[in-house]
Amino acid sequence: MEKKIGVYICTGCGIGDALDIDALSKVASKEYKADICKTDAFLCGKNGIELIKADIEGEGVNTVVVVGCSSRINTDVFNFGSDKIVERVNLREQVIWCHTNDDEDTQMLAEDYVRMSLAKLKNLNIPEPFIGENLSSTVLVVGGGFTGLTAALESAKAGYKTVLVEKEDTLGGYVGKMYKQIPTKPPFTDLEENSIPALIKAVEDAGVKVYTSAGIAKTDGGPGMFDVTIAQNGSETEERVGAIVLAAGAKPYDPEKLGHLGFGKYENVITQLMFEEMVAAGKMEANKVAFIQCAGSRDQEHLPYCSAACCIESIKQALYVKEKNAEANVYVYYKDIRSNGQYEHFYKRAQQEGVIFVKGDITDISESDGQLTIEADDHTMGTKSEADEFDLVVLANGMVPSAALGELIEEEAAEAEAAAAADEPKVTVPPIIKSNLLNLEYRQGPELPSLKYGFPDSHYICFPYETRRTGIYAAGVVRAPMDMLSAMEDATGAALKAIQCIESTMKGEAVHPRSGDMSFPEFNMNRCTQCKRCTEECPFGAINEDAKANPLPNPTRCRRCGTCMGACPERIISFKNYSVPMIGNMVKAIEVPEEDEEKPRILIFACENDAIPALDMAGINRLQYNPWVRIIPVRCLGSLNLVWVNDAMAKGFDGVLLMGCKHGDDYQCHFMKGSELAEIRLSKISETLNRLGLESERVRATTVNIMDYDKIPAMLDDFAAELEELGPNPMKDFQ
Amino acid sequence: MIEQTNKLPEKVKYDLTFAREIYSLENGAYIKQCMQCGMCAVSCSTCDIMDYSPRKLFNLIKLGKKDEVMQANTFWYCTSCCTCKARCPRGIPLVDVMHDLKKYALDNGYCNYPQAAFYKAFWAEVASRGRSFESGITARYFLIQGLDEVIKYMDMKDVGIDMLKHNRLPFLPPKKVKDLGNLKKIIRKAQELAQREARS
Ligand code: SF4
Ligand code: SF4
Ligand code: SF4
Ligand code: SF4
Repeated sequence: MEKKIGVYICTGCGIGDALDIDALSKVASKEYKADICKTDAFLCGKNGIELIKADIEGEGVNTVVVVGCSSRINTDVFNFGSDKIVERVNLREQVIWCHTNDDEDTQMLAEDYVRMSLAKLKNLNIPEPFIGENLSSTVLVVGGGFTGLTAALESAKAGYKTVLVEKEDTLGGYVGKMYKQIPTKPPFTDLEENSIPALIKAVEDAGVKVYTSAGIAKTDGGPGMFDVTIAQNGSETEERVGAIVLAAGAKPYDPEKLGHLGFGKYENVITQLMFEEMVAAGKMEANKVAFIQCAGSRDQEHLPYCSAACCIESIKQALYVKEKNAEANVYVYYKDIRSNGQYEHFYKRAQQEGVIFVKGDITDISESDGQLTIEADDHTMGTKSEADEFDLVVLANGMVPSAALGELIEEEAAEAEAAAAADEPKVTVPPIIKSNLLNLEYRQGPELPSLKYGFPDSHYICFPYETRRTGIYAAGVVRAPMDMLSAMEDATGAALKAIQCIESTMKGEAVHPRSGDMSFPEFNMNRCTQCKRCTEECPFGAINEDAKANPLPNPTRCRRCGTCMGACPERIISFKNYSVPMIGNMVKAIEVPEEDEEKPRILIFACENDAIPALDMAGINRLQYNPWVRIIPVRCLGSLNLVWVNDAMAKGFDGVLLMGCKHGDDYQCHFMKGSELAEIRLSKISETLNRLGLESERVRATTVNIMDYDKIPAMLDDFAAELEELGPNPMKDFQ
Repeated sequence: MIEQTNKLPEKVKYDLTFAREIYSLENGAYIKQCMQCGMCAVSCSTCDIMDYSPRKLFNLIKLGKKDEVMQANTFWYCTSCCTCKARCPRGIPLVDVMHDLKKYALDNGYCNYPQAAFYKAFWAEVASRGRSFESGITARYFLIQGLDEVIKYMDMKDVGIDMLKHNRLPFLPPKKVKDLGNLKKIIRKAQELAQREARS
């Protein structure tokens, strides 16, 4: 596309008073030869927009540079259709609101930002969306228990063709075996009838295609075009689906491992599920019953986590006993009663019915004549305690996600590569367990990577239901331990996510956080060395390998983070609107003053997800910071290509700072590993810098979350002060 | 504040008979919903000198420890300041529960605490006249406690003299309230109702 560039400088919001607008215009029209350069006192107002539209129509402007406020606001106002490029230069939040007005340094900053944007435009093109062939809008739900049925029902009700696969011969799963279920509505005190029969009927009525006694033999493709092979009774069927909800549930923790609580030793020590089935069959006769909570859960020897549902399940079961005989003696031994949210009412109800709750650790369970005695350390009273003549002891044995049942796939140490990469620190890969649920045809492994304890969760704050495989959404107890109410919410949420993914894929758009982004990575294959870095580092498993070991991108799986672009040592991966040369041009467009001018320069690569909003917030709060900084937004620090840092150092920048999200266990990175990868890559550059005679302290990474905006000035000032200690970059003179 | 150490037996054994009896008192059922959060214990102004904090007392009731509960000073040391009642997240009217426990203790012959004697003296005095009469209460109190107790209380004589000086300790009893008969009827009826409620 031949670009016709129109630069529109807004003088509103105080910009006109703080800067020399004529000088700015000259940068655009003289230095960068923009076709049109105009100013307006209120660019986002009716007249301002008209001004731009008139040039689009009359002059054929197709590339609009809006010089004004942050690109995070007024996006709808400055939208001139998908065939026009719109580039924003942020003079408001990141220049005049956080730097001295009418000042030489502030003016230089503003001019540099205009240069950077115009330089970036040289290589930038309008993305052409990737629309796959033969796209499907069917939702596949794996698992026919409470969560799966709910998800299937919700997606069918939303008008999407839905397929459900269940491995058992009947639907219903764990909940299906229950006598009654916990309350799911106010006042949260009453037992409810089992909802599974009604749910099954609703799912059938909604026209969901159900496969029972069936499993997924293979999942190929990506969003919009998953080809799923369903194995059923020895035969195989193929279904093409658009997105997948994984609702494979959990299994009760193996009670055989709870011998210390008498399981397997005494006949009358049973599990929650056994108790449920006993009551449902009308065979529960016991009048003195003890429930033992956390039998396995919250125990480093067994399951380190809280299984989240057993407390209220035991409360419910205690009420079964009381329902049958109000005089029955019911005891619940617990570590803590975790009756989250509204279930506090349910807990209180059980107390009112006279269920005795004992906070204590079981020290011994013994039996004589079929009656059980429990000894415990009673923590509220601080004594040892004993209770006897129990007819039945029920263990709350917790849950293990189906995704954790299987063998951990050891990362194959591909010898040659491993040797080559031996000196490079490697990012830790999330564990993948061969659990036979999805059998993905993905280069990175056959199942979803897990976050912790085998739960295939992804971002624990920002993206519930989201997994690390685009288009596959985990819901219910396979994702995290939870009660039925949360599972219901999960099922609905995941169904909606699946639908959102299908719709976005149809339009060739990314799912969040870059929702609406039409770009996708393009590979210049003739220079590929088959190093496989892109394949390994893509956080979403979007890149497979073809028969000749070349990277094989699956654009619909891509979430447009650019991690592959940052990873490629050959720099052959790029997006139409984001590429290594584009950012490189921005770096080169910045004017770095000579050493004797005593104006240092600091380059900041800031992640668009948290760091850029935090910088904007600093501006909104009028926090003043160092004017030597030049900020370049990046999609994710994972897209950082080391050549940018090289360019910056060669150009004479005194320091480079990477601002990304927190990584590690409780990471906040929206693309899982971006900031971690950037730091690892950075550790490689230190050596190069040292070799060039440059101090490696000049290049630094830091983490920022959106609420850290108030710390930004100090962060930048401290870095500037340290750079001053080091003195100017000696490369300046070579420019 | 650190909760007092108490006089617990080495090992407790749960027995619900006593618990059920206490639950049947007017406010007794509330005890069931105590979740042992300890708010009452940290709020209580006399918790330091109690044998068991309210929280622990409730737990002892649940365990069925009749003697420990009834011989405890806890409810006798409750000053009815109402802080616990106002703060209990489970809405337990602790002060009312404490009153029930006092009454239960008296009815069941657990009257070893001087407060129990005072309780009785005050009540008898008010019931007989419809008004309180300090000298009368004192006399009744010493009668219940046994006269040799008086010696122990001699060191309180200054208080008595001060009260006399300020006209707070009249020698002559006040007049009975008008229509004392009707007041007695009201009290009788209330007692009947309380008993019936407790039985249901
Ligand atoms: S829900 Fe209750 S019983 Fe289950 S693990 Fe959590 S605290 Fe323990
Ligand atoms: S942009 Fe991100 S999601 Fe897409 S292929 Fe590259 S690394 Fe994977
Ligand atoms: S990282 Fe670059 S060179 Fe390596 S395999 Fe991927 S595309 Fe090829
Ligand atoms: S404050 Fe209420 S719920 Fe908490 S321990 Fe005291 S009585 Fe129990």
